[in-house]
Order: sequence, then structure tokens, then C-alpha cells
Amino acid sequence: MTPRRGTRVGPDAVRFSFDGRTLHGQVGDTAASALLAAGVRRVGRSVKYRRLRGVMTAGPEEPNALFTVGTAPAVIPNVPAPQLELREGMVLRSQNRWPSLEFDVASLLQAGGGFFGAGFYYKTFIWPSWRTYESLIRSLAGLGEAPGACNIGPVAVEHLGCDVLVAGGGAAGLAAARAATRAGARVVLCERDPVCGGELEFEGGTVDGRAGGAWAETVVAELRAAGARVLTGTTLVGGSGGEMIAHAEPGGLAGANAVYKISPRAFVIAMGAVERPIAFVDNDLPGVMLLGAAERYLARYGARAGRDVVLFASHDRVYASAARLAAGGMRVRAIVDARQPDEIGAADLRDALGRDGTECLAGHAVLAASGGRAVSGARIAPLAAPRQARTVPCDAILVSGGWTPALHAGVQEGGARLYDPRSGGFVAGEQPEWRLLAGAANGQFELGPALADGVAAGMRAARIAGRQPLTDPPPDGRGDAAPRGRAFWRSPASSAEEKRQFVDPQNDVTVADLRASLAEGFVDIEHVKRYTALGFGTDQGRIGGLLGAAVLAEIRGRPLEDVGTSRLRPPFHPVSMRSLAGWRVGAALRPARRTPLHDWHVEHGAVLESMGLWMRPRFYRANGDDAFAAGIAEARRVRDSGGIADGSTLGKIEVAGPDAAAFLDRLYLSKASSIRVGRSKYMVNLREDGMVLDDGIVLRLAPDRYIATTSSGHGPHMLSHFEHYRDTDWSGRAVTVTDVTEAWAAIVVAGPRSRDALRGVLGAEWEASLARLRHMDFATGRFGGRELTVLRASFSGELAFELHCRPAIARPLWEALVAAGLPPYGLEALDILRVEKGYLTTAEINGQTTPFDLGMEGLVGLGNDCIGRGLLERPAFREASRPGLVGLRAADGKARFLAGAQLTDRAAGSRPLGYVTSSVYSPACREWIGLALVPRSHAAAGALLLARDPLREGDVEVRVTPAVHFDPGAERMKS
Amino acid sequence: MTRLVCPFCGPRHLREFEFHKTLPAPGAGEFASVYERVDSLELSVEHWQHVGGCRGWLLVRRNPSTGAVLDCRLVGGGGAA
Repeated sequence: MTPRRGTRVGPDAVRFSFDGRTLHGQVGDTAASALLAAGVRRVGRSVKYRRLRGVMTAGPEEPNALFTVGTAPAVIPNVPAPQLELREGMVLRSQNRWPSLEFDVASLLQAGGGFFGAGFYYKTFIWPSWRTYESLIRSLAGLGEAPGACNIGPVAVEHLGCDVLVAGGGAAGLAAARAATRAGARVVLCERDPVCGGELEFEGGTVDGRAGGAWAETVVAELRAAGARVLTGTTLVGGSGGEMIAHAEPGGLAGANAVYKISPRAFVIAMGAVERPIAFVDNDLPGVMLLGAAERYLARYGARAGRDVVLFASHDRVYASAARLAAGGMRVRAIVDARQPDEIGAADLRDALGRDGTECLAGHAVLAASGGRAVSGARIAPLAAPRQARTVPCDAILVSGGWTPALHAGVQEGGARLYDPRSGGFVAGEQPEWRLLAGAANGQFELGPALADGVAAGMRAARIAGRQPLTDPPPDGRGDAAPRGRAFWRSPASSAEEKRQFVDPQNDVTVADLRASLAEGFVDIEHVKRYTALGFGTDQGRIGGLLGAAVLAEIRGRPLEDVGTSRLRPPFHPVSMRSLAGWRVGAALRPARRTPLHDWHVEHGAVLESMGLWMRPRFYRANGDDAFAAGIAEARRVRDSGGIADGSTLGKIEVAGPDAAAFLDRLYLSKASSIRVGRSKYMVNLREDGMVLDDGIVLRLAPDRYIATTSSGHGPHMLSHFEHYRDTDWSGRAVTVTDVTEAWAAIVVAGPRSRDALRGVLGAEWEASLARLRHMDFATGRFGGRELTVLRASFSGELAFELHCRPAIARPLWEALVAAGLPPYGLEALDILRVEKGYLTTAEINGQTTPFDLGMEGLVGLGNDCIGRGLLERPAFREASRPGLVGLRAADGKARFLAGAQLTDRAAGSRPLGYVTSSVYSPACREWIGLALVPRSHAAAGALLLARDPLREGDVEVRVTPAVHFDPGAERMKS
Repeated sequence: MTRLVCPFCGPRHLREFEFHKTLPAPGAGEFASVYERVDSLELSVEHWQHVGGCRGWLLVRRNPSTGAVLDCRLVGGGGAA
């Protein structure tokens, strides 16, 4: 067999398999062109009716030929065959069929009782409940199968700024890009195909006296030489706020994808137009194809859509197409033109075609495609007398109902669309100044005017970007004549036949479905879309959307411009989930903050947990394999002897300057100005609305210098909070705010042995300071030649110290403490120790609790006019219905209850009063203990409540206790 | 709107900035300034922070209908672009 010749294929063979059959294509083929050339006409089944389908288009809007590529589990589903470049050994499978394409069980369901129209499932499967049928129906529904694994690597994301972005590298786009580039603008051009040129590739037109394809190559070379970015294989899929997003999926298959986020000063939309089908009976039969697709397959790949074809259209361009198809070796049996003879031009072409044996029919329509499993003929009749139908034998019916401008990028963010009688569709309405449409996307379907439109848009765009365009004459384009079409949407049919007139093949939406939708009261186009699924799917309504709207308009007896089409939304074309993730995959998902002791933790078997961006040890494997047992062992050891924990993640903000004290007074509920130098205080911040924002210890280093610590997760937010007030209410005052979180590592030393161990580790020069430090005192000095601050403070209820040291000495200090017999403990133990003491974390400081709710009346009483203080005085915050912090224990002293359980009183069916905020197994109390927020009216110690947790623990009877479970007199901490 | 012109750092991508709040109407009381928002089609006055840059707090005036940024200054005055 001699190799096919086309602009995109080479002679060498490529082997691939389709549904288990080994086939051969040529280098450069797409899956669609290779199958077409191999005579494979049936390539899939439809999603709902399981009808056999063939290739219908030559672009990404393909509704039928969607393949699953690769072998399980790492398959890629729903790949449009016309985009998929063949590679050696590629494995393709058709979709929506079981067990095979040729024999599908589910299609028999449809054959029995006729079609299940729109709304059938909602109305039929309601007794006793939709759930009864859901799993069966869901197993039949959906497009393709989801992959079980993904082998695609991270996707590069590139941010580009430019003067002019041109979407579409056809005639108008190239002309626009060249005009802008010649004006000195920095240009980015996106073309979804692997090569630029668009229609120029096959229409046989000339530009400036040269073949269209050759002209396109010259322009691309000129653009590249002038520094423009020409991104081929890249589709503009959407954008927002002036940043446009382009997606490249080389070869039509995820694997080497790229995402471009492009911020242009001006944007030219030259994305061409999408050819429309015409509705007639069985117009989804394999062998019915769009005319432009047949031309593309012939010119690009030398693949013929059929040997004997019938053309069905309502515009003049069909005659030029027919001549090219005939020249390519296809027998054009008939051209069926729905227009009346006096509307039809192209007389010379028609005469020539007639002489070669093509029947040119005016005022006729194809009523139906005949054939069982593929087209074997076209039933043709005069529109004036549909009953006088006859069948013309053929193996393909090539349809062209006109073209719909691809104006998506111009209206995706909203904006009007205007009815355009030339195209029978819609063009974009008023656009912001920086956004321009050109060429077919702007309703210009003739080569000469489209080129001129492109040049004008390119020059305007360059001017918007601040460049001075030259006054170049537009290129002289001579191609097919203007289509001069009249919109023709559907052929006459009986109401029974309307069930087989497809308007949206991807979703099996027929004319009958549109009627049903109207009968049910779903009249607006957006409602019709949702009732029938018109316009959903991978083609996003580009094939059937406008046709459906037009048929709807016809049925309703309203003009199409009143009916409109459903809103066009991004993405223009499906984007792989992998591309949406970009490079943010796995460890690159977000940056990790590591403490200066991170390596030690990892080397010593710590199981790490992320908290905000920080990585913190949860527990150490030496103490048990599971978090529960290890946490208990570590907590018990702290109370028995002592332990150390890494507190470096605490936020630390240094506030300095003459106004520092007054500034902190404004930010905290109690007064920082009353802290003596060398002392610290537990302090609480409020939000403007009076809720508690965060808590921490504030140290006064000098009269004009403080360090405020924040909780680990809140650090970045608290820094912004401080900076905000410094720059707003306090601008012009003498205060500085500096983030010193990473300038200080922090080691928590806790337990009865902590002071003795520290004496040994820090040595004689610290002896006096350690003996002197009372609770909340701190001392500064040096260790290993570096600064060290020792703060006596406790978050465990034990005698405890926080060592704030420079990161360089964190590890030697830590190792010395371990050697002195203080083993490390992690977050699990930390949580046990703090719940035993009733100390708070974000579970209680959750943005919905006031200082009153959390038992901090004492702090409020100190009377400081801080942020949030005014609104905290609202009477409702004093009511008994407000939550109060309490402790909880199981009524039987044994049962487990978990954080998140809802608390009710013991009457059946009662509503939740509050919930468990924290719960741990306490080795000190030898039972489960918790903290909870319940209305003060129910917060009396000894009250019995039910902790309801139906999905995990069931109901547990619990007893309200004071929030401090262990050592209520704080004897241990002060020892 | 995909970029802001920071008075310190120049034109930068929006992802470097964090939105904080829409400012209350001038003269609003304590309650109103916390709970009531000015919801105008033409003009929104907002606080943003350049968290991924100079960390400056910015007063941004913009048209929420078109996304056009009318003005971007430091909140405390000074450093005008």
C-alpha cells in the first residue's frame, strides 16, 4: 500500500492498537486520521443511549471519538482522537461500551423500549428511593473510566508578561501578531494546533501571491526572529482579571504539559470559528462528519472520510470544498443545499461539479442517514415536498450548517453577545479596551477581510500597549468566497423521528428532548441546559450548543437572539487535573519550615506532623509505634522526672521603641506597660469584635524592648496583625515590629528534674540565675558563646523553663539536655499535659470565644483599653447562654469520648448544647479527660451530659468538672 | 486585576499580596466599622498587605466592577508611588 500524503504525515509507519486490534498509521497521524484511513468507522458509543458513533470532527471539540489511552491502572480517559498524535505502540480503547464496542449490553436496554429521554431517570427511579438504583445507574453513567493511578510528572507553570497576546495562529491571528510585532510590541501567540495556519493549511487560498501555508510559515519565522513567543500546541483555556491561562498538552496527551499564565497589556482573540452540524434523523450514525473535518483529514493526512459522499450545507463555500474533495479522489455524489436557487452563488463551481457527475440540489435537505451500523445512504427530499424522498447511496454524509465564532475568551468573564446574521450565531458585544476580536472569531469568514481585520486588531493592540504601529498595508488574501450562507438548523421530521434528530451528540440530546424540556416548564436556555445536558461535556457545547438554542427558538417561535445560548464558561477545552496542580505536587505542595533541631528529630525516630508550614515532632518511635501509646509514655515521663520539647515554632515578635509599651497595651487585653524588666506575663489578644485572637507570653527585655510570643500556627497572622496596627492606628509613633521567630530556637525543659538538669548543663555561671528565677521571670546570658534567655514558664503544669537560644547552639544544648537524662517529647504528650492543666489551644481559642467564655474574667478586670475591648462590653457576652470552658470526665470513669462529640442533656432527641473541644487519655488521672464549651447555664460542676458521637464512639455519659484536671493548686509548677 | 503597583516594590503580581478588609464608611462607629461593609459598585477602599514583598500595608482604591485599581498607597501615608 502506498503511504498517504498530507501536510502533516510522513511515510513511515506507526503501530498502535485499538480495542485490542493492531493497526498501522503513519508518522504525524492522529488517532482519528489513522483509524479513518484504516477504514475503522465505529470508534465509540454515546454516553446515554450507547449508540455507535464515528469520528465527527477534526478538532478538540470531538464529541464521539474519545479514547482511553494506556494500560490500567494509569490510563488517561476521554482523550479526543483528533488531537491525539499516534506514537509507536500506543494502546487505545473505545469508551462507554461493555463488553465490547460492537456488542454492548446496555444498548439493548435502549433498543427494547425506545429511548429514555431527558428526565427519564429522575422520574422513573424514585420508588422506594433513588438510592436503590443509584449504584447501578452510576456504573452506567459518566464519560470513560477514572484512572487508578497517575504516572504524569509535575507540570511547569510559566508566568509571562507581554504587550500583546494573540490567541489563535490562523490567518487573522498571524496578521495581528505580525502587525503588533512590527510596531515593536512584545508578542505572545498561542496556537492550539502543532502548526500555525488554521484554514490556510488546506483551503488553497493565496496571501500576497503565495500559497497560504507557505505564507504562514514565513510569518512565524518573522515573529520568532523578532523575539515573539510562538506557543504551538497551546490552547487559551480561560482567564480572569486580565491574566489569561494557556494550556499545552503536546501530542494531545498529558505527559509533557505546560501551563502559561499570561498578563498582556492587550489581548487579540483570533480563535476562529467552530463548524456546526445540522439536525436530521440518525445524524449521529458513523459516517456523518462535519465537512471541514473531512477537508482537514484529506489535506493534512491524506485520509478520506468516504469514497462516495453526499454534502449537506446551506452556504456557498460547500462548492469549493466539494471541488477539493473531488480533487482528492472522493466521489461527490450530491450536494444538498437547503437554500433556494436564487440564494445560491458559486455558479462556475457548480457547473464544473455538475459536469463531473455531482448532483447539485437546491432547496433540498438530507432527511435521514440510512444504514444500520454506519452510513450506507442519504435520504434526500425537496424541502417543499419532504414526502418525495429518495435515497442516494454513499458511505459518508458531510455536513456544514455554518460556523459559530469562537468568542469564548471574550465573554467567559461575562459580557454581552450580539446576534450576528452573517454567521447565524453570536459575536462578542462590547469589550474592554484591551480586548479585541479578529477574523472568524469576530464574524469575518473571508480570507481577505479576515487578514485586514487581524492587521487592524494587531495595530490597535500595539497602540494600547504604548507602541507606534507602522502603516503597513494588510496582506492581499485571496481564498474561498464569502459563505453567504443562510442558517439552516434542522430537516423536517415527524414527531417520532425527532427522537433521532441529535442536536448535541456528546450528551445524546435530541430535538424531542428539547420539546420535553419545554413541556416540563424548563424554558430558559440555562434551564434547558440543565434539564437535558445540552452543552455540557468535553466540547463545552461547541458542537451542539448553538444548534440546540436555534431548535429551541424554532419550537418556541421566538427569534434566536431572544433565546440566546447558555453562558460560555472556562475552561475552553478540558485541562488535565495534573496541569491544574502544576508543580505543586507532593513535597512541593507548599514550603516546609523546619526548626534548627529538625535533623536531630529525624535522626532520632520522630514522627513529624505539619502545623501551619512548620514540621513538628508528634512522638518519638522509641516510645512506641503508635501515637497513642507513645504520647502517654512521654507525658508520664515528664511528670515523673522530666523531658524536653522543641518549641522553636512559637512565633516571636520583637517590639521596640519609646512607644513599645503603649503599643502593646493597645494590642493586648492586659497591660504590657506594667510588666517589669526581666519579667514576663501570659497575655491575650482580642479581635476587633471582642473574640480572643491568640495568646502567648510577653517578655520585657528593657524598658523600650519586648518580645511577644504567639502560638505556632498563628505566628504569620499575628505578625501581620502587629504590622497592621503599627501602620494604621499607630503610624508615626516610635515603635518597630520585627519578626524574630527564626532568630531564636526554643527548647522547653519541663518536669521535677528540670532545674537540676539545667544546672548541670548550663554550668556554674547560670547557677545563681536559676536559683533566683521565680515563675514568669527570665534571665539572659550566654551559652557556648551565644546569647541565651532562660524563661521560667510552664505549659505543662510542671516546674519548667523555656530556653530561647540562637539556632547555632540549639543542637548542642539539646544534646546536652538529652545526655543529662531529659528525653524528648512530642505534640501528643504536649497535648496530654496541657489538657490535664486546662490550658488552651486553637481548639478553644477558635475565633468564637470571648475572654469570659474561656474563664479569663481576671484579665478583663484589669481594665485596659485595647483593641476589641469596646465590643467585648456588649451585654450579650455576659448571658448564661454563652459558652463556658469546662472539664469533662466519663461518668463511669472509664469510657472514651473524643473531641468533636456534641454535648446534649440526657433527654432523648435533645439538641446539642455544646461540644467537646479536646480530649486525651490522661496517665496522671488514669482516665479519659476533656475540655468542652457548654452554656454557662449547664456548666455547673457535677452536671451530667451526653457526649454524642454517632459515627465514632456512640453516646457516652460525661460529668462536668473544673477545667483544671490535675494539680489545681499549681503546687508542682511553683516548686 | 492581576497586579498591584506597590509604592516600594513597583508592579508585582497579585499573589504576593494579601487582602485584609474593605474599609468602613468614614465616620462609622465602633460597631459599624467592624460589622458593616461599604458595598459599592464603583469604589472599594481596601487594606492589603504586601506579605510576599516589603510587608507594607497598602490602601487600595479600586473599582470592583471592572477590577481597575485607581490608587495604591501606603496606609500611613508616605512612599507615594
